[in-house]
Amino acid sequence: MSALVRKTLGDYRRALIGWTVGVCAFFLLYLSIYDSIAANPDFYEKAALAKYPGALKDLMGGLADMTSGAGYLQVIAYQLFGPMMLIMCAAVLGNRAVAGPEESGTLELVLTLPISRRRLILGRFTALALGLLGVALVSFLLIAVMAAVHDMGVPIGRIAAAHAGLYLLVLFFGTLALALGAVAGSRALTLAVTAAYAVGGYVVETLGKSVDAISWLRWISPFHYFLDGRPVYQGWPAGDYLVLLAATAVLLAVAVLAFDRRDVGV
Amino acid sequence: MTAVVLTEGLTKFYGKRRGLQDLDLEIQPGEVFGYLGPNGAGKTTTIRLLLDVIRPTSGRAVVLGLDPRDSRARARIGYLPGELAVEGREKAGAYLEFMAAVRGGPPRRRIEELAERLEADLSARMGELSKGNKQKIGLIQAFMHEPELLILDEPTSGLDPLVQQEFLAMVREVRREGRSVLMSSHVLAEVEHVSDRVGIVRSGRLVAVEDVAALRERAVRKVELHFDAPVPREAFENLPGVRDLIVEGANLRCTIDGRPDALIKAAARFTVVHMVSAEPDLEEIFLTYYSEEEHGDEEAGHVRARA
Repeated sequence: MSALVRKTLGDYRRALIGWTVGVCAFFLLYLSIYDSIAANPDFYEKAALAKYPGALKDLMGGLADMTSGAGYLQVIAYQLFGPMMLIMCAAVLGNRAVAGPEESGTLELVLTLPISRRRLILGRFTALALGLLGVALVSFLLIAVMAAVHDMGVPIGRIAAAHAGLYLLVLFFGTLALALGAVAGSRALTLAVTAAYAVGGYVVETLGKSVDAISWLRWISPFHYFLDGRPVYQGWPAGDYLVLLAATAVLLAVAVLAFDRRDVGV
Repeated sequence: MTAVVLTEGLTKFYGKRRGLQDLDLEIQPGEVFGYLGPNGAGKTTTIRLLLDVIRPTSGRAVVLGLDPRDSRARARIGYLPGELAVEGREKAGAYLEFMAAVRGGPPRRRIEELAERLEADLSARMGELSKGNKQKIGLIQAFMHEPELLILDEPTSGLDPLVQQEFLAMVREVRREGRSVLMSSHVLAEVEHVSDRVGIVRSGRLVAVEDVAALRERAVRKVELHFDAPVPREAFENLPGVRDLIVEGANLRCTIDGRPDALIKAAARFTVVHMVSAEPDLEEIFLTYYSEEEHGDEEAGHVRARA
């Protein structure tokens, strides 16, 4: 591992540990009450539907069978909360790849080292991908163990499929933040655009199923390529995941090319 | 001998604002070059162009025989930024080791030697470095890999006197070893003792490159003399090189162009109890020698207004 990747991972370490602990605590808390939900499915299903009427229900992914093991796992980990928490983490780290240090002035000294602009972006991306992979692996192990302990009836292969998709989705948004920083170098702009695309993409994908006027927009939502294949139920939607990977690769290429051309810190 | 730094028509515009225009500069191996100018004149723009942090609008630069875009050039450069930006919980020593590793270079021992010499605390966290310690860490990272070219942006601003002495000694060592230094400052006094030549940049243009000895000869100096009794004004009138003469009782104030010899000899006839000679500052050099070149140049008025 290059000194740059090691150093960047070191800079990310505290944030990575913090987000891992937070996300895992959330999963642990909600998955540990699955037994009581499975024991009273009718009660909890009514309660959930009362809490999320109409369009809110769509926004939560339908809540069709949230008392089954797969349905509950979907709602807690893979529908809204899991992706949004991890996307926030990815956006924060992606923002610290270029935009953050550029605004605080620390990037200038790094640029005066014998590292080419391209290698700098690729190194930052590698650290981002590895860091997020760490968070994803730990949270995957936790969910796999919880699913087994609470007899949720979801095969580990399906959980792996869903978690891999979650990782690719999160990596896409982290790379988006990195690329925005590489293009524009502004922390606020990066966070605003990344957050808007994440929230907008999620709304379009979930509500677009029943609102024809925006359903065509689902194709440009990254969430579409994660949620539409229902990996918790159906396993690996390989084609969709390849779209996410390709989009991430395009963002990375844009980041490399843009950063290689522009002035830094002006 | 190939120049360490060579620029031809190097120009940088930030949108419509001029950062630097038509810079032709050559720095030879073993030379310490002082790069002088008021804040905002284009010093930092030049340095950032040489380091490829920003890209020229036109013209070109060659650093150590390479295009600045070639990252290999930067392995042989040591750079001290004007304001070292630091953050994070990382220990200063670990940060320096990271820089050393990327440069493929200096052993840990070399970092420790410099830290000892400058009395820097390597165990402090980067984000919590005191002002003095921050400058020391900046100096260590710039000097540690014994670069062929040192680029120092306002290196002495705010250094405490002892560290400044050590720093100047380090610059002299670099010159003795045949390595080169480009050192910017807005005060001539900060660079004149170590520089071989100085360039003066103003409003984005290089207005003069001078030998340091020649520049000091031409510099103006404000002098104050206090005598033990009132002195006659006539005794000091029309002395060569003396102007703006004010005599008030036992006090004399004037400006000297070049050598103070005539004034000293005139004053020697009376009893001098106190003498103050301000270091010549750059702005006065502008006013006296370079303002005549700027007829019609709108920025000339700004310099005068500030003086």
